[in-house]
Amino acid sequence: MSRRPALHAFTVQRLGASVLITTAVAALAAPFVAPHETDRRFPGLLNAPPTAVRLRDAAGSWRAPFIYPWTRVSQLEQRYEEDRTSPVPLAWLATGRLVASSDDGRAPLLLLGADSFGRDVFSRLLFGARLSLALALLAALGATLIGALLGGVAGYVGGVVDDVMMRASDFVLVLPAMYVALVLRAMMPLTLDAPAVFALLAAIFAVVGSPFIARGVRAIVRTERALDYAAAAASLGAGHARVLCRHLLPAARGFLVVEITLLVPAFIVAEATLSYVGLGFPDTIASWGTMLEDASNIAAFADFPWLLSPAAAMFLVVWGLNLTLQNRSAGAQYERLM
Amino acid sequence: MLFFLLRRLVFAGFLVFAVSSASLLLAELAPGDYVTGTLGFSATPEEMAALRARYGLDRPLAEQYVDWLARAARFDFGRSLANGRPVADLISEAAANTALLATTALVLATFIGLPLGVFSGARAGGVLPGMVRAASVFLLSMPPLLTSLFLVFLAARTGWFPIGGMSSIGPGGPGGNMESFEYVAIDLLRHMVVPVLALALPLSAMFERLQAQATAEVIAQPYVLATLARGVPRSRVVWRDALKAALRPVASIYGLVVGTLLSGSFAVEVITTWPGLGSLMLNALRARDVYLVAGCAAAGSIFLAAGTLVSDAALALVDPRARE
Amino acid sequence: MVASVRTEPQSFNWYTQHDGTTDVLTFLTQARLVRVNRVTQEIEPWLAERWTRADDGRSYTVKLRANVTFADGHPFSADDVLFSFAAAYDPKGGGPTIGGDVMAGGQPLRVSAPDPLTVVITFPVPFAPGLRLLDNLPILPKHKLEAALQAGTFADAWSLSTPVSEITGLGPFVLTDFRPGQRLVFSRNDRYFRKDSSGVPLPYLDRVVVDIVPDQNGQVLRLETGQADMMTSEARPEDYAALKRAADRGRVQLVDLGGALDADSFWINLKPGAFGADPRATWLQRDELRQAISFGVDRKAFADTVFLGAGVPVYGPVTPANRKWFSSAVPQTPYDPARAEALLAGIGLTDGNGDGMLEDARGVAARFSLTTQKGQTALERGAQVLRDELKKIGLAVDIVALEGNAAVARFVSGQGYEAAYFHIGMTDVDPALQTEYWLSAGGFHVWNLGQKTPATAWERQIDELMARQTAALDEGERKRTFDEVQKIFAEHLPVVHFAAPRIFMAASSRVMGLTPAVQRPQFLWSPDSLWVRP
Repeated sequence: MSRRPALHAFTVQRLGASVLITTAVAALAAPFVAPHETDRRFPGLLNAPPTAVRLRDAAGSWRAPFIYPWTRVSQLEQRYEEDRTSPVPLAWLATGRLVASSDDGRAPLLLLGADSFGRDVFSRLLFGARLSLALALLAALGATLIGALLGGVAGYVGGVVDDVMMRASDFVLVLPAMYVALVLRAMMPLTLDAPAVFALLAAIFAVVGSPFIARGVRAIVRTERALDYAAAAASLGAGHARVLCRHLLPAARGFLVVEITLLVPAFIVAEATLSYVGLGFPDTIASWGTMLEDASNIAAFADFPWLLSPAAAMFLVVWGLNLTLQNRSAGAQYERLM
Repeated sequence: MLFFLLRRLVFAGFLVFAVSSASLLLAELAPGDYVTGTLGFSATPEEMAALRARYGLDRPLAEQYVDWLARAARFDFGRSLANGRPVADLISEAAANTALLATTALVLATFIGLPLGVFSGARAGGVLPGMVRAASVFLLSMPPLLTSLFLVFLAARTGWFPIGGMSSIGPGGPGGNMESFEYVAIDLLRHMVVPVLALALPLSAMFERLQAQATAEVIAQPYVLATLARGVPRSRVVWRDALKAALRPVASIYGLVVGTLLSGSFAVEVITTWPGLGSLMLNALRARDVYLVAGCAAAGSIFLAAGTLVSDAALALVDPRARE
Repeated sequence: MVASVRTEPQSFNWYTQHDGTTDVLTFLTQARLVRVNRVTQEIEPWLAERWTRADDGRSYTVKLRANVTFADGHPFSADDVLFSFAAAYDPKGGGPTIGGDVMAGGQPLRVSAPDPLTVVITFPVPFAPGLRLLDNLPILPKHKLEAALQAGTFADAWSLSTPVSEITGLGPFVLTDFRPGQRLVFSRNDRYFRKDSSGVPLPYLDRVVVDIVPDQNGQVLRLETGQADMMTSEARPEDYAALKRAADRGRVQLVDLGGALDADSFWINLKPGAFGADPRATWLQRDELRQAISFGVDRKAFADTVFLGAGVPVYGPVTPANRKWFSSAVPQTPYDPARAEALLAGIGLTDGNGDGMLEDARGVAARFSLTTQKGQTALERGAQVLRDELKKIGLAVDIVALEGNAAVARFVSGQGYEAAYFHIGMTDVDPALQTEYWLSAGGFHVWNLGQKTPATAWERQIDELMARQTAALDEGERKRTFDEVQKIFAEHLPVVHFAAPRIFMAASSRVMGLTPAVQRPQFLWSPDSLWVRP
């Protein structure tokens, strides 16, 4: 075999990693990069389209980056037009932000437009990334740990233990989650702070997500158990835990990687679903899930497509995750063989 | 084998019992009930009390539960509080509608997702596999609500397919001259396109991803490399020898997929107005229609148990070592 | 013609189920003795041809139309009216039967039938709205339902499992097909009693199909593409742009009905002791706090943001859409943040530490939680704008968005919430039919419901005025008394209103004969004169 696949895998993996790193940096640097706070409303600019950063003015001459303010043509239809008569220059590194409009009150810099509250979608996207990605990744990790452990034990021990554990995971799956959340909500104080919600959601997601993982891991462990090497390890006197963790679970690595990339987007969306029963973050905090939920109407497709930008961002992250993780396991095997 | 099936049956029965009981209990613990939901503010406390009495919601939880259990044991699952129809009727009607979608989507997803997965997993590089992967990731990272809404929007804009529902009103109209069988069948198929796609697209993407990963791993195994080195054609190795071993992950979660598909998808059924189990359950959950919720949860657990059995059978088929 | 509704009906019997779709179904298939014209908000003769009022003002002699038959051919007579009243007052009904809607002062009316075409109705107490009450009572066929009433199973009669052929009525249409979860099909009732002015028998339409479309996006798309002819309820503000474009292309007619009858309501839990030993109890239930909140919100900006421009400022529970009972004499609080801050200072809330937010004398932050319903865009948006506006006058608000049932459970019990922002809808425009809201003992007196004795002097005053208002027979006096009630309300502001949505209705441009009204169902309250341009 040639070395080409490995090399290729390497570059693809770098691409994936750079997507992820860029997102992470942008999210971490949100207070610096984002032109606005997440809850800043521009009441005259509901659903305003993105402001284009321009270099040439109406007269055709070149100048420093500037934007045109939006003027509202129809309030009910939320149609806007650029006011070409008064270009507004951008202010760099002023007031602790990378870039903002020099006249924020009249002509805010809305790189991805405004939502139906008149809030800057781009800034919310950056701040939302912190919350949504941290929550989804943590929950996915938790689900993987729980699922791998349960699935591993069930597959390794087999018999009644296996049956009981798998039925328990079925139970978690078919239980009406909405009522569980409602009951949990009723037991908590009226106002919830963000860290409490974060911890609670991460725990719920980890538990609800784990059956999917457990199911696959169990199948893999079960077949691997029968293989020679596991039997050999066992006969050499390795403890059960050691056989399971060192020899059997690694075989499920590829499966786990795919499952993580499935769970992350599902959790990002589920955060908005749980906010329906009151288990949501305070609305001043932006999250991709709630942004997408707000965009779930035909107006977003037909008239305000920039509201869908969290979906695009989610795709980028999941794709990056997929490229990075997946090729690492496959790539590692290629390299080992070469 | 018989013992194995019997054990499964006992466990499935226990699951159904546990899930429906837990649903009833949770519904009772959750704040508000069916009466606060339908009457809200507009009623006097006396009217609320009267309505609770009419539905028997004023009795202690234990009594309601024992009563429900006794009737459930005779296969009487109570009536929906919202519209008074028997829960069993409502569920069987909706389940038939959902099953139609679910099986079509499952078949479609299997026949699209698995071959694509083998294809993109067998070659690590290349533009085409990269595109397949990107498309899958794209579909998987879209919220189901947006996918359904977008397909409905597309159907509306192009006018190719009906926007929702299961049937259109024929020219003669119901009650008038009956439409021919062909008309009804074609009409149903046309209505199925959007919801089936909304279900099948993300599903095939999931199958593709799992299958691609497994295929890549199997192909990197020494024994496959050895087979290749012996001069066996690559395509034959990939499609015959590696495929079987690589089916394991997909086969293992197939049961879950079958179970959840048959229980109906909230997003797809509500957006495409498909009168299935998903929208039935969602309405019941929101209205606190307790017996209907318990019934839907029970149906869901039966589907899941059945799906698991299918899954285990499939697993045993692709990998004899997994057999008991 | 194809219309769309959001939910399946809960029953075919309006007497036992009061959901929106059953309402639509009742308008299509049933008729009343008198009808409230939803456009003029006045009553007009319907199955009753004419009536006279006795001198005591409590008893009415009602002459019924002759030669009216039910859709199944059975003749209609005073017996059916007596039967309908009996069914409405059925003690075995259980729950919110229609009974309460046709009672005066909590007591049933006495009804007798001296001959088959005459009914004498006697009110137990002087009751100003009079026969207006009969709009709440669709006349049911005795020959179909008597057995159920006698067997005590009337509450379950005409459920969704009943074959549609059993459902009959005096309305313009007959239910001919019901597919659960999908649609209801109504055909023309050839025996309907009304004719148009030129003598053509009504209704004009041969068939009305009501599709059940749970998702509002789907409803709009169906209308845009011509797969439906109307939505039975109003469009959301976010649908306006799409519908306007369809209107510009000539596909859809968009009707602006002006501000709605109801405005979303803000109130603070005024149940005595609701805040227990909480140090904020000293100022949370003070009138001045609500007055300050009313002065501190720019209602125009509120309406523009919350309803995306499709809203009108509103100052009290009776909005200008209620033409008869709205009064311009009731004081309206202007936007005046300085006044708001002065009022707050008056109850000891000042910015002691210079952080821009207020504290009370002991340094406890002026902060409270606002419970609203999750999933209702207008409510969530309203709560958020409210929070931002109140922050400007130094009040901190924490929004708690709960699932609808959970929120209502808290409001009804009067426990577990501090302030609320919620939609409360009145069922009738006439104040005498809204006593549950106005009277301190009422179950709908949201800020402190079901009081044994009035908790405050002004609530006692409103109770007395409302008792007079309900009994007075002189319309001028009723109006004056109710204006007085509204003035007291505006002074103490137990509920603060900010804006009402403008109601936009959309129908395909081929539907003619529309008589839209602000009350639901805006189009289908008068289905017999609709027709469709070929």
